[in-house]
Amino acid sequence: MRIDGGCHCGFITYQGEADPTKTVICHCTDCQTLSGSAFRTVVPVAGASFRMLSGKPTIYVKTGESGNQREQAFCPRCGSPIYSTAPGDGAKDYFIRAGTIHQRDQFVPKVQIWARSKQHWLKELAATREIEQQ
Amino acid sequence: MRITGACHCGAIKIEGEADPAAVGICHCTDCQTGTGSAFRVSVPVAGKDFKMTGTPTNYLKTTADSGRPRVQAFCGQCGSPIYSTTPGEGQQAAYIVRVGILHQRDQLAPKKQNWFRSARAWVTGLDAIHKNEKQG
Repeated sequence: MRIDGGCHCGFITYQGEADPTKTVICHCTDCQTLSGSAFRTVVPVAGASFRMLSGKPTIYVKTGESGNQREQAFCPRCGSPIYSTAPGDGAKDYFIRAGTIHQRDQFVPKVQIWARSKQHWLKELAATREIEQQ
Repeated sequence: MRITGACHCGAIKIEGEADPAAVGICHCTDCQTGTGSAFRVSVPVAGKDFKMTGTPTNYLKTTADSGRPRVQAFCGQCGSPIYSTTPGEGQQAAYIVRVGILHQRDQLAPKKQNWFRSARAWVTGLDAIHKNEKQG
């Protein structure tokens, strides 16, 4: 399906085609630190359909446990994470951070990877006190 | 308890005192976009106990329902979110530190979920989502 999205401050906007059944949660410790949260939620967008409409992200190159390098793109003005991808040119996918997609209601994760480092309290979220505002 | 933490690239390091009973999830739409994920997890640290090395980039967010501006600090080199605080010069009264950057995060389980009205519908059903111990 068609998606569009952007960072919090509006500097970066993008569009592309994404399959909601490919939505993934990543519980790896790198994603915990880089999101400042418990996990990341991502969906791949093929490079052929991905277009940056405005702005230029800052690229941080991270080396994974596999030894592979990944580019992590974020907004230089507001810090919102935008995507990760392989370094260099050529055909590649962009793993879009689902929290920045306007249609994120339709992107329900189907798989959780790196579950071995999942925060233990996540299975008890339904029992954690809920407040409608703050 | 004593907490220590750092961004992913190590340019920013923090330390302070935090109460594990004060850890909260925020499901507001600003936090969804600012993390790129489903929600944020944060814990307050009093300004008098908060120490930092390195200088984060500050983003002044003005979209809160309350109308109050908040400074959102992140690492300009790797993008890791660090904290939010009140605008102003010098040390602030409190820093709401992002738990994902803390070394002790295993001990910082959330006790409340704010802005639950915009929570992703699937967050309370994570056990039903297929799990791979590493990458699938």
